[in-house]
Amino acid sequence: MAKALTFAQQLERLEDIVRRLESPELDLDEALKLFEEGVEGVRAMRERLSSAEAKMKQVLSTENLDQ
Amino acid sequence: MGVGLDLFAAASAEGAWTVGEVTRRARAVVEAGLPPLWVRGEVSGLKRWQSGHWYFALRDGTAQLRCVMFARENRRLPVAPADGMQVFAFGRPTVWEEKGEFRLTVLELLSTEAGGLWQLAFEKAKAALARDGLLDPARKRPLPAYAQRIAVITSPDAAALRDIVAVVARRWPLAELLVLPTRVQGDGAVAELCAAFALLGRLRGLDVAIVGRGGGSKEDLWAFNSERVARAVAAAPVPVISAVGHETDVTLCDLVADFRAPTPSAAAAAATPDHTEVRDHLARLGARLDRGLTSRVELAAQRLARSLDRLGGVMGLRLERHRHQLATAGGRLDALSPLQILGRGYSLARDARGRVLRRVTQFPAGLAFRLRVSDGEVSARVPES
Repeated sequence: MAKALTFAQQLERLEDIVRRLESPELDLDEALKLFEEGVEGVRAMRERLSSAEAKMKQVLSTENLDQ
Repeated sequence: MGVGLDLFAAASAEGAWTVGEVTRRARAVVEAGLPPLWVRGEVSGLKRWQSGHWYFALRDGTAQLRCVMFARENRRLPVAPADGMQVFAFGRPTVWEEKGEFRLTVLELLSTEAGGLWQLAFEKAKAALARDGLLDPARKRPLPAYAQRIAVITSPDAAALRDIVAVVARRWPLAELLVLPTRVQGDGAVAELCAAFALLGRLRGLDVAIVGRGGGSKEDLWAFNSERVARAVAAAPVPVISAVGHETDVTLCDLVADFRAPTPSAAAAAATPDHTEVRDHLARLGARLDRGLTSRVELAAQRLARSLDRLGGVMGLRLERHRHQLATAGGRLDALSPLQILGRGYSLARDARGRVLRRVTQFPAGLAFRLRVSDGEVSARVPES
């Protein structure tokens, strides 16, 4: 699931989770679920940053555009 | 009239020149006597022909000089001079034999006005872009905060590209740079830049585009002042960061772009976040998650404690009531106890089978029975009558 999301989308989701977790109207079960998802999100994004390496390629024509 | 004009002699083959001979000779005389030179004057009646050649006159208060500037020469100029413009023209004086016209074949043309032809071209294109609203600051799109696919439109083997790659690699490991190589000056640069911008729409998942080149002369940067390129930038499907030349050279491309960076390196920095800052941000979000959950749990614990207190209170009251009831019942039981009654001096008679004897008729003569008194039992007998 995380694969399909861009980093920006992942981060947006995490920020949303944090905001909800900080709001006082939230029951404990829901809070626990959000917390778990949030912690997993932080881990996944750190992993993504650590494992990536900037790539470069030339686009010369329309041939190699399909990706 | 012996010395009169001999029309026949003049008309003879040796005595009269053909038109072609005269114009050819005039041309030779002019070209020999007037070497290529600079002429100063005011442009008048300029016509651009289909062929691309320019025809105009240079004039001052007293005279005018017909001029032609061929397409292969005027192609280097950004724009044709406007009528009335003061210019310096470098050219070869000659005679155009076909028309018998004395004229200057212009090889180079400089405006004497501030900024010259380049400035004129710039202002004309800028005005056209402004008319179409392309310079409106409200058009400018925000740059993506966490770009993943970044197109770079520039020369493939210039320092600008190397700078961009270095900065992106250092700042943002998630980035994928798609380089669209183009010429950035000279013939073909404008067409290649426009073609590269047209390609952007076909790059999937593209977040932002950088266009630029390093510093150079006004002529070197000229492709980025082309109205066509400026319109291509404006039509780009993603925000465009422009970094052309040095900070002091503002091109039309810079004006139309969504963001203007002073150098290619700065453009790369504007296109990407710094990964250390992103990690810090993640750490802060992680801490907020912890705090959020902790305060949630504490709140729940407090509620639980309050509930327990209330439960304890209710139970205590209930126990107290039961204890009281028990004590009352105990007292009553005590009062009813036969042992208590025996203590007061009563006794209980029972026959051998243990039945309580209550009435006189139950005591026939000679009956043996037992008497229960407060501290034990004694045997007894009804006397024989």
